Amino acid sequence: MSESGPSGQASAVLHPGDEQEKPEHSAIPYVVVWIALLFFTVLTYLTGKQHLGQWALPIAMAIACTKSALVALIFMHLKDSSGMPRLVFVTALAFLGLLMFFTVGDVATRFRPATPAGAPFGTERSQPEGLLEHETPE
Amino acid sequence: MRLSEADSHALAGAPAAPSYLEDGTTVMSWINTRDHKRIGVMFLVGVIFFFFVGGVFALLLRFKLLQPGPFFIDAISYNRLFTLHGVVMIFLFLIPSIPAAFGNFVIPLMIGARDVAFPRLNLASFYLYVIGAVIAIWGMVHGGADTGWTFYTPYSSTSPTQVAPILLGAFVLGFSSILTGLNFIVTTHTLRAPGLNWMKLPLFVWGIYATSIIQILATPVLGISLLLVTVERIGGFGLFDPARGGDPVLFQHLFWFYSHPAVYIMVLPAMGVISETVCAFCRKNIFGYRAVAYSSIGIGFVGFFTWGHHLFVAGQSTFVGGAFGLLSMFVGIFTAIKVFNWVGTMYRGAISFKTPFAYICGFLYFLVFGGMTGIALATTSLDIHWHDTYFIVAHFHFIMVGASVMAFLAALHYWFPKMFGRTYPEGWGLVAATLIILGFNATFIPQFLLGNFGMPRRYYQYPEHFQALHVASTAGATLLAFGFLIILIYLAIALKYGERSAPNPWGSKGFEWMTASPPPTHNFDVIPTITQMPHDYRTHEPSGVIRVA
Amino acid sequence: MSHDAAGLPEGIVGHHFSSLARQNEAMVLGMWLFLATEILLFAGLFVGYSVYRYQFPLAFAEGSRHLNLTAGTLNTVVLITSSFTVAMAIHFARTDRRIAAAVCLAITILFALAFLGIKAVEYTEHFHEHALPGKFYAFEKVMIPGAAMFYTLYFLMTGLHGLHVIAGMSVLSWILWRTLQGRYSSRYHTGIELGGLYWHLVDLVWIFLYPLLYLI
Repeated sequence: MSESGPSGQASAVLHPGDEQEKPEHSAIPYVVVWIALLFFTVLTYLTGKQHLGQWALPIAMAIACTKSALVALIFMHLKDSSGMPRLVFVTALAFLGLLMFFTVGDVATRFRPATPAGAPFGTERSQPEGLLEHETPE
Repeated sequence: MRLSEADSHALAGAPAAPSYLEDGTTVMSWINTRDHKRIGVMFLVGVIFFFFVGGVFALLLRFKLLQPGPFFIDAISYNRLFTLHGVVMIFLFLIPSIPAAFGNFVIPLMIGARDVAFPRLNLASFYLYVIGAVIAIWGMVHGGADTGWTFYTPYSSTSPTQVAPILLGAFVLGFSSILTGLNFIVTTHTLRAPGLNWMKLPLFVWGIYATSIIQILATPVLGISLLLVTVERIGGFGLFDPARGGDPVLFQHLFWFYSHPAVYIMVLPAMGVISETVCAFCRKNIFGYRAVAYSSIGIGFVGFFTWGHHLFVAGQSTFVGGAFGLLSMFVGIFTAIKVFNWVGTMYRGAISFKTPFAYICGFLYFLVFGGMTGIALATTSLDIHWHDTYFIVAHFHFIMVGASVMAFLAALHYWFPKMFGRTYPEGWGLVAATLIILGFNATFIPQFLLGNFGMPRRYYQYPEHFQALHVASTAGATLLAFGFLIILIYLAIALKYGERSAPNPWGSKGFEWMTASPPPTHNFDVIPTITQMPHDYRTHEPSGVIRVA
Repeated sequence: MSHDAAGLPEGIVGHHFSSLARQNEAMVLGMWLFLATEILLFAGLFVGYSVYRYQFPLAFAEGSRHLNLTAGTLNTVVLITSSFTVAMAIHFARTDRRIAAAVCLAITILFALAFLGIKAVEYTEHFHEHALPGKFYAFEKVMIPGAAMFYTLYFLMTGLHGLHVIAGMSVLSWILWRTLQGRYSSRYHTGIELGGLYWHLVDLVWIFLYPLLYLI
């Protein structure tokens, strides 16, 4: 929060009485980010097609996080913004992480019979195919 | 007292400015208002109305429980009644009660602002409240829901009653709550008067600020989980249906990720009210300002790490259950800090035992009692015995009715002269407070005992040997209802015929008393500059304010 | 180009704000708080996805392989580009090139329509294959436990995202109208920035939905 100096504020907001000449706002970062995003899309597409097994998820998520960081910092101006919007964004993500951590943590460490029928480690009979067959819409 | 009246007048500028109540008296001037004070008053009317609706449901339940067997309402109606009691009391009363009604009214006054940051959004929040309430009432009239306010799947996705409109109503009410919270956060950040830094902020503002953070972060998760149940009901998507590989416990995770922090949405503003009133009625600045302020944020934060204690017996993993049990106990630390500081504030203060102070005492007792039983419940091994019994019911009523409603009543009495410029009869106030505190104990202490003996919650029938305690509980509930009725009557009379109050009848040095009572529409002729802490009673200067040239 | 406060459209600064700068700060913060609620709204679905993916890894991998990867990738490119055009629209607005800003916004709205069109084609395919959620699931190619759950989540996540695309389109259309009226300039451009922020969030969500649903 402390780094929200006047220089950070000036690009986001304008005071009506402010007579200072602003440096010309440049569009180059947007073009660079756009090209980077397209590059990462191709990259994630190509790595996704390789079926890299256990590495597929971390790689895809790393690329997605990089892409969203670019969008948030440049397109959404978090790079130039004051501390509060950054704090709000990071907090929201942190609480998403919190919800994810405990919920998946619960499922992952659960006493197995408490896991619903149809789970991969359940018995054949507890799987829902039978149900699905006689309930198909046709 | 007279001294501060003169001060207030001096600060409010020319007394000729009409109060917000006189500034336009047509219906349109109310329903189309952007004035935070009028919106606050409209919310107040709404929440009080629904408090009585929910109260009637509760009384019907209690009267049925006089008999162990079937008695004047059938089992389905009983299920509907406890569901609607929960839904109305939580979504239509407790969540908006203190933040939306009193928060709206006093926060801009406390921080020296002319309005909240987004007045139109504020009005939208009120209308969402009305729309949500209308949808929910429509559902109640057309059959109601019988799932309990927790809407647990898979029953809520298959119940033949009208669950969908109730879910939708709660969803819309969630949006109302989000908008209110958003408004308060932005208001606190951008509209503080000159000189009012965070360490001079009134503690009520801190409480509401912490509440708003919870509203922003938790309410959307409730929204999505209610939406998913609706989709499940209408579309049969099977997301929480074990027959299709779904996990009902996932719903409970999502639901309690909101609904546990929601308890702090109800109790943090209440704590804020107590922090204000305890100063005003003890003529003393708060003991340990920073500790009280930071512990509000602390409770808001830790409150997010505890939701799993609702799932101890739902099939949740033992490891996660243990972690949640431990984390739940941390809430006790922050709450204890606050209780300690409130009592520290009273110590050697000049206490004036007015009606709000009676509620402060009630609040402290209920909060400590309810909180201690909460610590016991966070212990997984004990919880297995008490889970889904009347013990739980009594525990959360101690916090949600005991603590929150006491604070609501304290706020109502403390700010009644501020809001309406009238005084209520002090004698009747104390009589009602006594009735309510006694009645509450008589209602819920038997329920602790019932729960411990094994009486499950939400049951229509019970073994005969529980009858004595049930009768005691119903008797207490009746007493409680009389207490609330007395308040309603004398306040309604005071509204019209009450004595005109002095602008600052309590001689309080809270910042909201800087302006006239009732305040003019624009709150301040001149935006004040704050130089002191709120509730600084050491000097005879008006509350921390100097005039701006 | 007007350089004085009088050149600003009427009623831009609320009576309760001390300055336009303060009000802009409030609006941007308010928008970010709203975006936080949107993130947590989607959080519920992402958590649901994680839980069921953990329980049914095979079904999720199989289901994902039967989605239309080309359409998904194309949609990613479309949304990323639309995010870029919105960023350019804001850039043009704050450098007082009103027409260029309006054109960029119009292109963005067209991209949004294209996104919805491609999504509609995909949905039609799923309907024909009976790759539908929950009890309607009858997709012959993937008949393993959990496959229906994958499609449930697929429809819920893309559906909710699609609703946000529609909402974003409406917001952008309104902002396009305000841009044509000449409301935004180097002196005041908070409104168009807020609309842009919302659209970028829609893009952000898709950046995660794309790999989770189509690639792995």
